[in-house]
Amino acid sequence: MDWILDFYNFRVVAQYIPDFARGLGSTAWISLLALVISLSVGTVVAIMRMSANQLLWRPAAAYVQAIRSTPLLIQIYVIYFTLPALPLLGRRLDELEGGIIALGLNAGAYMSEIIRAGIESISRGQVEGAQSVGMTYLQRMRYVVLPQAIARVAPTLLGQTAVLIKDSSLVSFIGVFELFGAGLLVYNERLMPNEGYLTVAACYLAIYAVMLSLTGYAQRRLGGTAG
Amino acid sequence: MPDPAPIIVVKDISKTFDIPGRPPVHALRHVTNHVDKGEVLVVIGPSGSGKSTFLRALNGLQPVDSGSIVIDGVELTDPKTDLNRLRQGVGMVFQHFNLFQHKTALENITMPQMVVLKRPQGEAEEIGNRLLKRVGIGDKGGSYPSELSGGQQQRVAIARSLAMTPKVMLFDEATSALDPETVGGVLELMKDLAADGTTMVVVTHEMGFAREAADRVTFMDEGAIIEEGIPESIFDNPQHDRTKLFLSQII
Repeated sequence: MDWILDFYNFRVVAQYIPDFARGLGSTAWISLLALVISLSVGTVVAIMRMSANQLLWRPAAAYVQAIRSTPLLIQIYVIYFTLPALPLLGRRLDELEGGIIALGLNAGAYMSEIIRAGIESISRGQVEGAQSVGMTYLQRMRYVVLPQAIARVAPTLLGQTAVLIKDSSLVSFIGVFELFGAGLLVYNERLMPNEGYLTVAACYLAIYAVMLSLTGYAQRRLGGTAG
Repeated sequence: MPDPAPIIVVKDISKTFDIPGRPPVHALRHVTNHVDKGEVLVVIGPSGSGKSTFLRALNGLQPVDSGSIVIDGVELTDPKTDLNRLRQGVGMVFQHFNLFQHKTALENITMPQMVVLKRPQGEAEEIGNRLLKRVGIGDKGGSYPSELSGGQQQRVAIARSLAMTPKVMLFDEATSALDPETVGGVLELMKDLAADGTTMVVVTHEMGFAREAADRVTFMDEGAIIEEGIPESIFDNPQHDRTKLFLSQII
C-alpha cells in the first residue's frame, strides 16, 4: 500500500482541502463571469460581422482576428498592465477584474464565430416567417433566430466553454488565486506535484461533468424538439 | 359583394434580377394591378412568370426597382415607410409554411401577437386556441411543427397570420409543397376564408380553386400581366394565345 501514498498522498491533499475548495470556487466564479461576457460579446460581434455595414463588420472581423492570432497569456497581460496605463479608465483594474475581462474577451471571439455559424444555419424561411408577421430585426433575432441558432450550436459552445474554464488557469500569472493556484501551492510548499496537479485536474473534470448536464438541459429548453 | 374600395394599389412596378454571368431576368415588367376590399384575386401563370415576385412585393419581402405599391393608404415603396409595421396588416402564407420550428403550434400563433401587438398572454392564447379550432386542428396546439403533417403545418401558418387580424392575406403557392391527400382540406379552408369576406391575393397552380373562389383572375407570363378578368372569361374564353397555351398545358 505504501506505493499509493508515495504516488498520491491523500492525507496531504486532505490538509489542503480548504485551499482547493477556495480555488475551485474562484475558478467557477471567474469562468461563469467570463462566460457571460463571452456569450454577450460573441452574440453582438456575430451579428456585427454579418452586417452589410462596413463600420460594423470590419471592427468585428478585426477583433476576432486579433484575438485568434495572439496568445491568451499576452492578452491577459495587455488587459491587466497595458490598458490601465492609458488614460481611459482612471484607475487600475484589480487582477481579478483584469483576468475575467481578458478571458471573456478572448472566448468572446471564438464564441462569435460559433454563434455566427449557428445564425447562418437558420433557413431564410424562418426569417421571412417572422418578417411576415411584422417582427422587427431585433425581435426576429431575439425570438426566432438566436434561440434556434444557439440550440443548434450548443455542443460546440460547450466545447468552447470547456476551453474557457481550462484557460482560466492562466489568470494565476497575474496573481489571481484559483484552482491552478491551489495546486501550485501544494507543489511549492510540499514539493508534491501529483498531489497538487492531479487533484486540480480531477476538479476541472468535475466542473466539465456539471457543464455537460447543464447544456443538455438548456438545449432542450431552447430548441424544443427541433433537430 | 366586395366593397369596391381598393386596399392594394400597384402602379407600374418593375424588378430585374442581375445574376452574374447570365442575362438579367425581368421578373416584373411594368405591372399595374389593384385589389379591392373583400376581393379574392388569384394570380396564375407558368413557373418563372413573376407571380411569386409580384406577391412578395406586396409585403415588401421583395423590394422592387421602380413603381409604387400602396397598401391601405400607406405607400410601401416609400423608403420612409416602416415595413415591419406595414407587414402587421398583411398576412402571408408560404409554400414551405415557415413555422417557427422551436415553438409549438399554439406558441407559433401567440408569440407574434405578444411580441408585435403586445397582447397579454391570456388573450393571445384565447385567440390562438379559437383560430386553431377555426382551421380544423383544435387538438394540435401542443405539437411542434416537426410533429405535424404538411397540411396541419399550413393550417397553423394560416392561423398565425389570421391572429394578427390582417387587412389582406397573401398566399404564395400555399398547397404546392403538400401531399396530394392534404391539398383539398387546405384549399377548402382558403375557400372558407374567401367566403367570409377575407381580402386575399392567391398565387396558385390549383385552377379548380381559382375558378371557384376567385373574384378576379390575373394571368402573368415573363413578368407581365397578359390577361385578367372574372374566372369564367379567363378559363372558358381566354383571349390571348399565351393564356390558351398555358391553360391547355395545365388542365
